[in-house]
Amino acid sequence: MATVPWDGAIPELLREHLGPAVLDTLLYLDQPFAVLSLTAMLPALELLHAEAGFDYLVDITAVDYPKRECRFDLVYIVYSHSRNERVRLKAQVPVGQKPLSAVPVFLGANWLEREVFDMFGLEFAGHPNLCRILMPDEWSGFPLRKDYGITQMDNTWVQNNLGIESGQ
Amino acid sequence: MTSIDANELVLNMGPQHPSTHGVLRIVLKLDGERVKSTECIIGYLHRGVEKIGENRTYVQFAPYVDRMDYLAAVSNGLGYCLAVEKLMNSVAPPRAQAVRVILTELNRISSHLLWLGTHALDIGAITPLFYTLREREEVLKIFENYCGARLTTHAFRIGGLQYELYDGFEQQVNTFCDQFPAKVDEYEELLSGNRIWRERLRGVGVLDAATCKRYGVTGPMLRAAGVPWDLRKAQPYSGYEQYEFDVPTRTSGDTLDRYFVRLDEMRQSVRIVRQAIANIPTGPIMAKIAKVIKPPVGEAYVSIEAPKGELGYFIVSDGTIHPYRLRVRPPSFVNLQALDYMAKGALVADVVAIIGTIDIVLGEVDR
Amino acid sequence: MKNFLRRFLLIDLLQGLWVTFRNQDPKLVITEQYPSQRPAVSERYRGAPRLNVHPATQETLCISCNLCAIACPENLIVVGSVRNPETKRKDLITFTYDLSRCMFCGLCEDACPVDALELTQDFEIASYTREGLIWDRQALEEGPRPTQYRQ
Repeated sequence: MATVPWDGAIPELLREHLGPAVLDTLLYLDQPFAVLSLTAMLPALELLHAEAGFDYLVDITAVDYPKRECRFDLVYIVYSHSRNERVRLKAQVPVGQKPLSAVPVFLGANWLEREVFDMFGLEFAGHPNLCRILMPDEWSGFPLRKDYGITQMDNTWVQNNLGIESGQ
Repeated sequence: MTSIDANELVLNMGPQHPSTHGVLRIVLKLDGERVKSTECIIGYLHRGVEKIGENRTYVQFAPYVDRMDYLAAVSNGLGYCLAVEKLMNSVAPPRAQAVRVILTELNRISSHLLWLGTHALDIGAITPLFYTLREREEVLKIFENYCGARLTTHAFRIGGLQYELYDGFEQQVNTFCDQFPAKVDEYEELLSGNRIWRERLRGVGVLDAATCKRYGVTGPMLRAAGVPWDLRKAQPYSGYEQYEFDVPTRTSGDTLDRYFVRLDEMRQSVRIVRQAIANIPTGPIMAKIAKVIKPPVGEAYVSIEAPKGELGYFIVSDGTIHPYRLRVRPPSFVNLQALDYMAKGALVADVVAIIGTIDIVLGEVDR
Repeated sequence: MKNFLRRFLLIDLLQGLWVTFRNQDPKLVITEQYPSQRPAVSERYRGAPRLNVHPATQETLCISCNLCAIACPENLIVVGSVRNPETKRKDLITFTYDLSRCMFCGLCEDACPVDALELTQDFEIASYTREGLIWDRQALEEGPRPTQYRQ
């Protein structure tokens, strides 16, 4: 990516409180993002919410890089009404590690984290009700992972609940 | 969840229900007629649009985007085209931007008209549905004349527009703009002074500004709570900074205020369309963009003010012709989380009003 | 007192009712009596596909370039052709279009360089079977033949 370093009040605030956990602060196409280590994600969100006026959680999503050691990229996008600025926070998550849930800071993280769990299998520690949201509850498999085929289905579930032999 | 309270009734507003605006299932825990808690179960319309996005080229994915919020297909298309154009670092020419604004605002009017008709129908007022659909027919005729389809329009292409304006476009849009404000006044005459309407909606589903921000609620719900935030003013796109319009807000954040905010938004949309159509710039309709869309490696998040709230597209590109990850941030999904907060302590009939006022489209909630 | 009379005599409800009665005028009816009155769809309407033929020679305009099949998001066009050794061009043999999965998005129509594949204004394309919606070259050149009922 042709990134440019991002300087300003917010990167300084993040580095001041979180120090070496802030791995990088960059700009791509004029959109700022910060790469953090996973344990610093919730403290960063709390910091931005409490001190920098970032009162609105726009989105939580994940990206799957199966060939990488830390398989998932967890992305939080937050926005500040007072500053009119949007900031992306990214962290790399290896399989099996559980990020801390952001629900205590932003109530809107509830369903967004459930969707990340449903689609990728990333569990959030401390989430009030972590269960599948879009797929049926007893589905096995995480559809948005790269090793899940585009026409693949949980055939056991389909057979038990819908009574049809094969999907296609 | 393991104890049973003898005073509590668990009622299922199932996926097939005329008032849930699609396949939405809500499990209500009632104490008599009062709601103690609600639980939304969604996913009945999940089609895996984000997974499909990883297997189609950028141009091929554009028709799928219309089918998420199917009532505001033109808005969805605008957001997607802006996101890919951002990744390709190109901008649509001014003529394309003006036509995009006109069609998007007409789409906002048609989405709000359908919302008004179905919301009134849920409350019990059957007549407004016929009148709003009659007006909506005029807008859909304009879309049909322009791009060939009424609902799933696929009107915009990455880099600009595919079709030049047809003969009679300006005339048809001007005729619509001339007769439309009188119709909005007619809806107000039917509903706004009506005591049944006011009693049903005043004080129902109150969501104040701080709670809105904590839940991430955007769109007319946030503006009815008093926050004058509109992405068309805060972070303008596609030439919106050239047009003069107000952002309607109200104070108390209940269902009646959201009704007034959406009616005012329709009037402001007519204002924008009139300004845009008065001077559409001449010139090309498509930017100089590569035939095969292969954005450089990177990611971008672009969001627009859709009729329902903030619609965002987060696209990660790995340099090939397929997107690596295409995430859609649906406004209805995030707004629907606030249903539990709003419905606590309300009556069952109020739950129907609250679902209507959030203005959800299940195609967008489930994707 | 005026307010009490307004409430008691249901003035606000009568105001709404007057709007409804005003719209009962038969001149304001806009219902189309389908099927005796077919709607006039626009010129650019994306309806049933058609393979155009040259009006004079009745030969197909398709040059078997396969661009429509590549453009289709659902991969439902299959173009069968054979290379003609004399003219060094490809001759079209079979053209299969699966209408059951078609989204009518118009990408195939936009991709065709010679305007051979066109989405027409026909919207009456129903069929009793799934297989009936998979159109071969002949069906595509003729167009759909909906049953004509007596007026």
